[in-house]
Amino acid sequence: MTYYQQEIERIRKICYSQERQLDAVIKTRNYINNNLDKEVNLILLSNIALASKFHLLRLFKKYYGQTPKQYLTEKRIEKSKEHLKNGLTVTETCFSVGFECPSSFSTLFKSKLGLSPAEFQKRAILTKSV
Amino acid sequence: MKVKVISVPVQDQEKALQFYTTELGFVKKIDVPLGEGNRWLTVVSKEEPDGPEILLEPSPNHLEEAKVYQKALFDKGIPYTQFNVDDIQQEYERLVSKGIEFSIKPTEMGTVKIAVFNDTCGNNIQIIEIL
Repeated sequence: MTYYQQEIERIRKICYSQERQLDAVIKTRNYINNNLDKEVNLILLSNIALASKFHLLRLFKKYYGQTPKQYLTEKRIEKSKEHLKNGLTVTETCFSVGFECPSSFSTLFKSKLGLSPAEFQKRAILTKSV
Repeated sequence: MKVKVISVPVQDQEKALQFYTTELGFVKKIDVPLGEGNRWLTVVSKEEPDGPEILLEPSPNHLEEAKVYQKALFDKGIPYTQFNVDDIQQEYERLVSKGIEFSIKPTEMGTVKIAVFNDTCGNNIQIIEIL
């Protein structure tokens, strides 16, 4: 067994011995991944994970380093980039990744990427055609 | 500041290019001669051609300390770097079928699954699926 394998075993025992907690956060993350286009909130996620809202929030942050809301937003922005590259309009993209308002979607998108969705799409199309 | 390039030390750039493209599935992006047989040679993920580039850097051939460091990591089984995959079991099977050697088979580690293989260029490389 290599030094790295020994370390993996050691760290697993220290950090990942709580199977029920792991199940809860993995289930939550999977649910988010599969339901980006739907309304997702902490109450719904806590029902799925069979944990209280605040406990789930703490657990998710502990294991993934970000809150469910932060993760959801990140995934939605990532997906929206794909849709924009594939030619969906900004409004279509907004609704397809679960945002309810195109203007707040655009504001959020710009705050994360430094470009509005329309500018992002224009650049993506230009890059593709070069 | 932006992350555009990360480097992986390799003992033979041409061999590394073949391994990282033909075996792993990356795509060559930049290949510029730098004299004396050295190249600024980068590859990118097929899925993210505009994402970070991996520089296949011949440092172990030019700097003894780089060679010692690379060997020390390799001998301890420590990955030099890691790449994300969507399905680690599938990727493991694909790479094993190409004859690639793994020091760690797909193993659960909390919220991730990891596996480690030999890149044949002096490094252990870890692949990771986030669960």
